[in-house]
Amino acid sequence: MAVTLDPSPGQREPSTATSVGGAPIQGRSLWQIAWRRLRRDRVAMAGGIVILFLLLLAVVGPHLVQNPNTYNSSLVDPTFSRPIGSWGGISLAHPLGVEPVTGRDMLARIVVGAQYSLLIGFLATVLAVVIGVFFGIIAGYFGGWVDALIARAMDVFLAFPLLVFAIALIGVIPNSAWGLSGNTLRVALLVFIIGFFAWPYMGRIVRGQVISLREREFVDAARSIGARGPYILFRELLPNLVAPILVYSTLLIPTNILFEAALDYLGVGLIPPTPSWGQMLSNAVTEGFYYIDPMYMVIPGVAIFITVMAFNLFGDGLRDALDPRSR
Amino acid sequence: MKRRRTLAVAASAATFAALTLAACSSSSSTGTGGGSTAPSGSTSAAAGSAAAFNAGTTGVVNPSTTKTSNTLSFALSSTPDSLDPGNTYYAWTWNFSRLYATPLMTYKSAPGAAGNTLVPGLATAPGTQSADGLTWTYHIKPGLKFSDGEPITSADVKYAVERTYDRSVLENGPNYFQVLLGDPKYPGPYKDKTGNLTSITTPDATTIVFHLVSPFPDFDYVAAIPQTAPVPQDKDTGANYQLNPVSSGPYMFQSYTLNKEAVLVDNPNWVPSEDPQAEQNVAKITLTMNVNADDIDNRLLAGDLDVDAAGTGVQAAARAKILSSPTLMKSADDALGNRLWFIYLNTKVAPLTNASCRQAIEYAADKTDLQTAYGGPVAGGAVASTTLLPGMPGYTSFDLYNALSQPTGDDTDAKTALTKCGQPNGFTVGAAYRSDRPKEVQAAQALQAALAKVGITLQLHGYPSGSYYSDFAGSPNYVHTHDLGIDFGGWPPDWPDGYGMLEELVNGNTIVPAGNTNVSEENNPQVNALFTDAAKPGTTAAQQAADYGQIDKLVMQDAVMLPEVYGKTLLYRGSDLTNVYAYAPFGMYNYAVLGKS
Repeated sequence: MAVTLDPSPGQREPSTATSVGGAPIQGRSLWQIAWRRLRRDRVAMAGGIVILFLLLLAVVGPHLVQNPNTYNSSLVDPTFSRPIGSWGGISLAHPLGVEPVTGRDMLARIVVGAQYSLLIGFLATVLAVVIGVFFGIIAGYFGGWVDALIARAMDVFLAFPLLVFAIALIGVIPNSAWGLSGNTLRVALLVFIIGFFAWPYMGRIVRGQVISLREREFVDAARSIGARGPYILFRELLPNLVAPILVYSTLLIPTNILFEAALDYLGVGLIPPTPSWGQMLSNAVTEGFYYIDPMYMVIPGVAIFITVMAFNLFGDGLRDALDPRSR
Repeated sequence: MKRRRTLAVAASAATFAALTLAACSSSSSTGTGGGSTAPSGSTSAAAGSAAAFNAGTTGVVNPSTTKTSNTLSFALSSTPDSLDPGNTYYAWTWNFSRLYATPLMTYKSAPGAAGNTLVPGLATAPGTQSADGLTWTYHIKPGLKFSDGEPITSADVKYAVERTYDRSVLENGPNYFQVLLGDPKYPGPYKDKTGNLTSITTPDATTIVFHLVSPFPDFDYVAAIPQTAPVPQDKDTGANYQLNPVSSGPYMFQSYTLNKEAVLVDNPNWVPSEDPQAEQNVAKITLTMNVNADDIDNRLLAGDLDVDAAGTGVQAAARAKILSSPTLMKSADDALGNRLWFIYLNTKVAPLTNASCRQAIEYAADKTDLQTAYGGPVAGGAVASTTLLPGMPGYTSFDLYNALSQPTGDDTDAKTALTKCGQPNGFTVGAAYRSDRPKEVQAAQALQAALAKVGITLQLHGYPSGSYYSDFAGSPNYVHTHDLGIDFGGWPPDWPDGYGMLEELVNGNTIVPAGNTNVSEENNPQVNALFTDAAKPGTTAAQQAADYGQIDKLVMQDAVMLPEVYGKTLLYRGSDLTNVYAYAPFGMYNYAVLGKS
């Protein structure tokens, strides 16, 4: 897909004119047009609202809910290890019920889990975007052996058995390293693993865009007045890449959230007792709780589903709004 | 390493029934069996019990002496390490191998604690120890034959032990013989085709003598390991011997497709009167491997399958089905006793160097939450307060840290102990657990939550179970440098006495730099002296039991182990099975006597 935008959309003043009837016609910037398109897309807007809600939940939620690590053994039937009462022990005090075995509040664990899921999803995406854009621009603009080298490197990364690598890496990293320890270190590691291996997707898209952009007149113009590589790369080309970067970042976030859940599921994610959606699913499956307490699997499953769905819908809408031709 | 084996111990029937009743009070079915206690004779003499919950823990369910032409079907959710009796270290394979391999000594085929009694297998009587304690002599029954009709001689037993010396061919079994017998450098018959193991001698075809490097009073237990089941040298194919082992038991291999299915049929050369601990009740036995664990349970409940070979109990789904149905519960047994789950409290990591700090942890731990973490009172186990398992020689019930009287934790006494330790506001310490064992992950979090209440902060560190003892908890250096004062563990004794249970855990001279199982680094001279006393030749069984009981108390006073639960297993017996009962040495049904009507 090719997004064609003005060289520097933010710098241009909208021009005004006067129509026959006298009412002034407002010239609109491309961003305004895109925003109007996006606003008309109800599905995307719904996704966006859910995302805002999730962000709010992740920021303030943990301060409103109970301590996610408090045991409520009295709410669990020890013989079956399942919560007492139907629907996973849902009650006024515990709106989403309690965990089997421990009796910890599910709402608190889901909300705090959301914080970690989103944090890791976002940071990993930022890392992937920074690396991907940097190498993508360079590969696309310079071409030749630079391009060949970076493109092959991307192939290697894409073909890498990532899951196996992640499990091995997390296994050998000590409990404290680089001044970090415990869960902080683990979050940093997860961000690194997920982000560092997701950059080629972004890199390839940016590279393709740059290859088509570098032949455009404004690049020639910049070059003719003596602009050098870095200036052209980051001042002329990069602003034109904002739209695809935004779109694909939005679509990368849910992928990263899913990947983090997968690592949690495999037991190499966050360190217990830190709540995590993937670990809840993992427990539900490996310990057979899905049979005796289905809500324990349904609730984190739905949480992951809603989050991933919201980001995907919003990302799709954003792409349609910024680049209608790619529909 | 003895971490995979599970030899079991039975509780007294009374304790057991009480625990189970408490566990299942929510259910309408609280039957505890036909009330028959362990019979003194062989199984066929046992008073039969009607099918009822836990009937198989105290008596024989559906006793029968009729041989039928039926097929007894076993299924396994994984694959065995090996079906070769000389190359396996799982409780269920030691149990299953009795169908086709008879060791020198074996355990009495009887329900209840009587199953822990050692009785002769191939041998005519238990071994005789020389006055200096350095030789053990066995005589094997004359006239016994392999399934191929060849006579069984003492040379076949000697060869069976010799081949286990080559760990590059037979890597799975325990290594007691290499440790206990002289000539430890013997490379095994595959590499050394001309020599032989000089520390075993066979003066005649029915006599075999083991020469030890130092006295070892429990040698009869070692002789009960399937490694002493005879193997004819000319039929041995090394690691592939498991595909067609020559039988010395009631059944013999008809076929074995590796890791798929084994089919056993009657051994025509087996003489029932010479092997009273095993029975030949069916015409055929099949063992199917790699069957999904939940599928095994469903087929068991539907009656398509007779036995879950692994004997580790049903999965959570089937557990819920069984315990919520009085009808299904009648066919279930909550068998006690294959292992102790416990926590090591290290004596070299500050501030746990001070016994009062360790005692604070003992008091503060919420034993109910720990029990729930391991699966609750039925599938997990009973709250433990001692390091010896109930039913072991020397076991007495005592409750030093109110584990039984205040199972949710005794914070008052914990705070007192903390003050005594000089840490009235608590402290921070690391805790190691095996991150790929969901129950242990739950237990670690439960302990963390309970200790937080008295101000003790646990930093949890998960490690892979494969290298847990070799590199992490089992490496004192790693434990010290990483502050791992608390380490989760479990112990299945290789045989049911104080030596099998405690020697590797708390004897000061077993501390090693890697693969250490005395993770607490307990080195109490009094404890060490008691182990030495129990090992002296001529020490009576009663004196040994007293020694081990004393060790149990000292270890608990030192607070180097925090017992969590005495493990239990929920087993389900198919309605067609006959002669079923939970077998104490293995904590599962006795496979050697099962029949099918």
